[in-house]
Amino acid sequence: MVVLVPRQLRISGMTGNVPYYGGRFTPAQAYAASHPRQPPPPPPAPVPAPPVAAADPVATLAALDQLLESGLVTREEYDDLRARITT
Amino acid sequence: MSAPVQVLVLGFDEPSFSGGVLAELDRLRDAGVVRLVDVLLVRREQDGSFTTLAPPPGAAPDLGLVAAAVLGVSDGDPSDPDLEGWSLTDAVPPGGVAAVALLEHLWAQPLVTAIDGAGGRPLGELWLSAEDRARIPG
Repeated sequence: MVVLVPRQLRISGMTGNVPYYGGRFTPAQAYAASHPRQPPPPPPAPVPAPPVAAADPVATLAALDQLLESGLVTREEYDDLRARITT
Repeated sequence: MSAPVQVLVLGFDEPSFSGGVLAELDRLRDAGVVRLVDVLLVRREQDGSFTTLAPPPGAAPDLGLVAAAVLGVSDGDPSDPDLEGWSLTDAVPPGGVAAVALLEHLWAQPLVTAIDGAGGRPLGELWLSAEDRARIPG
């Protein structure tokens, strides 16, 4: 006696591979239906931009003044930025 | 390429595939209808495993080797592990003994060739039940 491990054979008809079984699944289709492929993950949703607070000119100018006083911006930069805020 | 080959699995209480069956297959082969490619005797154990059985007395000692190579997995087998087809496990219950015959339908090859030549393709194929065959005149 010899151990025999059965092999999976492709199912075929005498005249060839019958693809349509009266509206029912073929063996291959039945297998595909019972082993659904995982759909690819959807692309990540775009990250919404952080909400922009409504500009407060008074607060912005105060912050700009603080930048000038601390030396982080020059007088020329200060004037340029201030012009943008006030126009 | 061979003519269409049918796998015929027959259950027996005891290992057997001789006598009248083989004589009829011989007659069909001589008539150019069917050729018995090979026949393999198998037993399915209660644990689900299969073992091949020795050929019956008087049979060729290599009987069953071709069928075993076709129906069984061998070393280095390139078979597709995802293939959902048919195997002996679908036919032989645990504890069963079966004779598995490979029958080459010699008569069918010219028909298949003619169908291919005419551009035909198979859409359906089955055997009629005895009840439906009884409705055929003659």
